[in-house]
Amino acid sequence: MESSHQYAFYLGCIAPNRYPGSESASIRTAKKLGIELLPLKGASCCPAPGAFGSIDLNVWYAMAARNLVLAEQMGKDIALICNGCYKSIWEVNHKLKKNAELRKMVNEVLKEIDMEYKGTIDVFHLAELLYDPEICGLQKIKDSVTTPLKGAKIAVHYGCHLMKPRKERHFGTTEHPYWVEEMVAALGAEPVEYRNKMQCCGAGGGVRGYDIVHSLDITNEKLINIMEVKADAVTDLCPFCQLQFDRGQIEIEEKFGVKYNLPVLHYCELLGLAQGMTPQELALDLHGISCEPFLEKVL
Amino acid sequence: MAKVKGYPEALENKLRDRRFYGEDTNPEFTKTVKKISDTIAHMCYQCGTCTASCPSAPRSSYRIRKFMRRAVLGFENEALTDPDLWLCTTCYSCTDRCPRDIAPTDVIMAMRNLAFKRDIIPVNFLKTVQAIYTTGHGVPNNDVNRTARKKLGMAADPPTTHSYPEFIPGIQKILDYFKLKANADRIVKEREG
Repeated sequence: MESSHQYAFYLGCIAPNRYPGSESASIRTAKKLGIELLPLKGASCCPAPGAFGSIDLNVWYAMAARNLVLAEQMGKDIALICNGCYKSIWEVNHKLKKNAELRKMVNEVLKEIDMEYKGTIDVFHLAELLYDPEICGLQKIKDSVTTPLKGAKIAVHYGCHLMKPRKERHFGTTEHPYWVEEMVAALGAEPVEYRNKMQCCGAGGGVRGYDIVHSLDITNEKLINIMEVKADAVTDLCPFCQLQFDRGQIEIEEKFGVKYNLPVLHYCELLGLAQGMTPQELALDLHGISCEPFLEKVL
Repeated sequence: MAKVKGYPEALENKLRDRRFYGEDTNPEFTKTVKKISDTIAHMCYQCGTCTASCPSAPRSSYRIRKFMRRAVLGFENEALTDPDLWLCTTCYSCTDRCPRDIAPTDVIMAMRNLAFKRDIIPVNFLKTVQAIYTTGHGVPNNDVNRTARKKLGMAADPPTTHSYPEFIPGIQKILDYFKLKANADRIVKEREG
């Protein structure tokens, strides 16, 4: 199929290095929808907005700018699949474009490695591209489905750094959004809403590393709310949230003695399943929590 | 801007009132926090919407409203040495709900930047720096994952710095420009020996 839309695919860390199925699924599913994701060679960590932003915002700007320049050199806009990366890559791009003083500081640093930030590209989350009717849209997603995820109740975890802070972004309400639920419904599944669905997963801001019990307690509250509506799985747009919900459930069992066995899938993995990719092709066996009960229901 | 009768004088008098500042407060702190965070932190009127929106508040003594007050009054030491400073998950719920548009999350980030200048920082933050300095990734690849990637028909390493290590010296130059690696190594060594 012809690909009219090409993007530099910024991978980040957790997707390629912990959940490679979501990297593979993104490339293959997007291609079927007319979006070609090209490798962004030499990209690094975005860098982690919680860790780097807390230490020194200037380092965070400069490091993110290096990744942006790699895409500028390709002459392609960036597409990515992680909210944390979105915070770094999108936000630093946005700040550098409108703040000349900051751009000067960053270019002073980048001169050391013969690079210059020019502000020639834009940054998108793959989910917003898929939702955008000008690029793809719900109908095209629906048309690409060969294995509808019928009978599965799926809860959506939006995560924080894609849509918040609302006034700097362009996604509208952050109190009660519904666009990802629409994307889940397009796959034939039944989206279910739950109490306090916009709450954080608990991993961000360096808290997962600083105080794991505190961090998991936040996750646990979300899991309780999701279990209450009898969801068969939870879907996310962020590999870090995914790690927190997926591997986090194992840690929650160890530390709090509660077990949920709730499958956690990135939206790209769901899309892959709905387009007929096998669980093996998505490396779902790498997930900490088995996706089997969910797969039995939908496949 | 419309002038409110008597208001400018009242504000000036209030700012001159030394009862707002004591020996342990530093008015410069308010200004520095405002500058780094690019917010109007001094305008906080303590409504508490931030703490009420905070996922960390119900399970700890972390109160973001308290940090906002410290920013307004210049309680520098109290703010920067409080271990609760590191319990913000940066979820930005408070920022989206703040009726004065102050972005309390960014105020916290500014305070963390200032704390780091005094070597106050949890070690896990520095370990991320060390990992990126060596590999380009905060969460680097491992053997289990390499095997899985090959099974998927992908290269064992992603097309990032993992496959193109020639980009790592550039990353190191950026981090060294800010002396971040040297500081991270020094602090980790002091803490862990």
